[in-house]
Amino acid sequence: MRIVRLSLANFRNYIRLETAFPRGAILLAGPNAQGKTSLLEAVYLFTHARSPLADNDRQLINFLALREEQPFARLEAEVEDSNGPLRLELRLFYERTTAGEPRFRKDVLVNGVKRKPSELPGVFRALLFLPQELRVVEGAPSDRRRHLDEAAAQADPPYRTAMWDYHHALTQRNALLRALQEGGGDPSQLDVWDEPLAAAGSALLLGRARALAEIETLAAPLHRRLTHGLETLHIRYHPAWDPSRPAGDADGLQHELPIDAVVDHTKWKADQVRGMFLDHLRATRDQAVRRGLTIAGPHRDEVRFLANGIDLTTYGSRGQARTAILALKLAEVEWLRARGGEWPVLLLDEVFSELDMRRREDLLADLACADQVFTTASDPEMLPAGYRECAQAWWVEGGTLKPYSPETEKS
Amino acid sequence: MTLPKPVSRLIEQFQRLPGVGPKTASRLVYHLLRVPEEQARNLGEALLDLHAQTRFCSVCFNITDVSTDPCAVCRDDKRDGSLLCVVEAPLDVQAVERAQGFHGRYHVLHGAISPVEGIGPENLKIGELVERVRKGGVQEVILATNPSMEGEATAMYIHRALQGQGVRVTRLARGLPVGGDLEYTDETTLAKALEGRSAM
Repeated sequence: MRIVRLSLANFRNYIRLETAFPRGAILLAGPNAQGKTSLLEAVYLFTHARSPLADNDRQLINFLALREEQPFARLEAEVEDSNGPLRLELRLFYERTTAGEPRFRKDVLVNGVKRKPSELPGVFRALLFLPQELRVVEGAPSDRRRHLDEAAAQADPPYRTAMWDYHHALTQRNALLRALQEGGGDPSQLDVWDEPLAAAGSALLLGRARALAEIETLAAPLHRRLTHGLETLHIRYHPAWDPSRPAGDADGLQHELPIDAVVDHTKWKADQVRGMFLDHLRATRDQAVRRGLTIAGPHRDEVRFLANGIDLTTYGSRGQARTAILALKLAEVEWLRARGGEWPVLLLDEVFSELDMRRREDLLADLACADQVFTTASDPEMLPAGYRECAQAWWVEGGTLKPYSPETEKS
Repeated sequence: MTLPKPVSRLIEQFQRLPGVGPKTASRLVYHLLRVPEEQARNLGEALLDLHAQTRFCSVCFNITDVSTDPCAVCRDDKRDGSLLCVVEAPLDVQAVERAQGFHGRYHVLHGAISPVEGIGPENLKIGELVERVRKGGVQEVILATNPSMEGEATAMYIHRALQGQGVRVTRLARGLPVGGDLEYTDETTLAKALEGRSAM
């Protein structure tokens, strides 16, 4: 899969951009704060229509455009995979409703036909690697869940459906629980939300278990190579409600995670888990009403990364976290490829500064056969010479791109 | 420029209608200013009558004439009173009627259960439905709520509320649109169609 042509209007610091990109390695060089990462962000937006770098979509519109009467941003990409070409378009509007309220609107078009943003995942596949993604290892459980959901949703359509259904049912169930907590009422009304929650929740749990098991298998050898054989990586899935311990902790709270507990969740059957989760929801109903929220379930799942048995989230060093996330990302590339038969477009933001020269060469060797790899670097000298020679380079400055070769820069 | 009060007032009122923006609203108002007064008056009277001359049918809760209660469908002897089709909204009755395959009677819920919007079973005509079934004569209740999560939840709730009443409760099938192409069907619909496949 690759981006053939990209056109941006009023996106971040790109007032207008119109560029064709070749296959293979693409190097974006230039000083800081000039638009290198924003370009990767623009490409990545075509996967989910949601930015991992912005708190709200308004930030994506160029700040000068925001002063205009009807601020908007447009992103257009011509994409090509083995099935042929595809035209993707995102339009972001910041407008006022008839009542004068500011409102944000997002249109998604595939081949000129309007689609729901929720229909986008899986159409275009890309993998983004940002330095701040260390939080997947070091940050909160929600960071790890979001990361897993984004990868799995691209690879697995039933997972996507389960994810939305789960959150939809959870929102309704929690609203009802709050109403019951505040105003009382018949708790048997919860039945009609327990069923869809259990159906989607069990699918999500098994989907996560399968995805993590497959990714672990791919990540472990990569990690061993990145650490020159010194460390072994394990990925542990800890569902907040665990079918292996259905009675579990009496209060259903997130428990101290026993790090060494190895549980194979992939052995479960969907119907089995659904029934058990439903029993759990019913058994903890009184407690849920008292608290006004759904206590345990996939919305509180946890994933942990272990190197040589040591939990990296709690005890890992910065360097260990970097290696783990790199192995994880590379494994996800493999995994997406195994699931979809295509290389996702790879978007690597300043990854090389995190690695020593030998690991840089290892990484590039791994990615050499990808359809398209975008790499940013404020200092191209950091890249292995072999890579600089084969990559097409652009100089990014002030929201413009121009072809660049390291030699012309020196003269 | 400030508009004359009656003009701006009507524009405002039109804008509150679904699908009408400021432009359409102004266009409609200026159109009404151009047409014979008679026509505008007819529109006004029709609007006034809308609420004054209609009511909910006391049996099925569909919209009916003030003078016709129960409604025409509920009165029609040729219709099969043992078959009851439960829908979310009056427009859904129109849709089922257009299909021309149904000769039973209706029950309109006026919504679906949605705790987020503060709509519980007590805000819908569910108690009335249970009461109607309890009175007897109904053999089958067809739950034709929307195939959304809220519609499903409502159907499940009614299904449970009707347990022990000795009626058959069925749900509309979910599947492929007629005349559609299998390859263009979205995966959720296709999965449901597979789930609900029937023997030939």
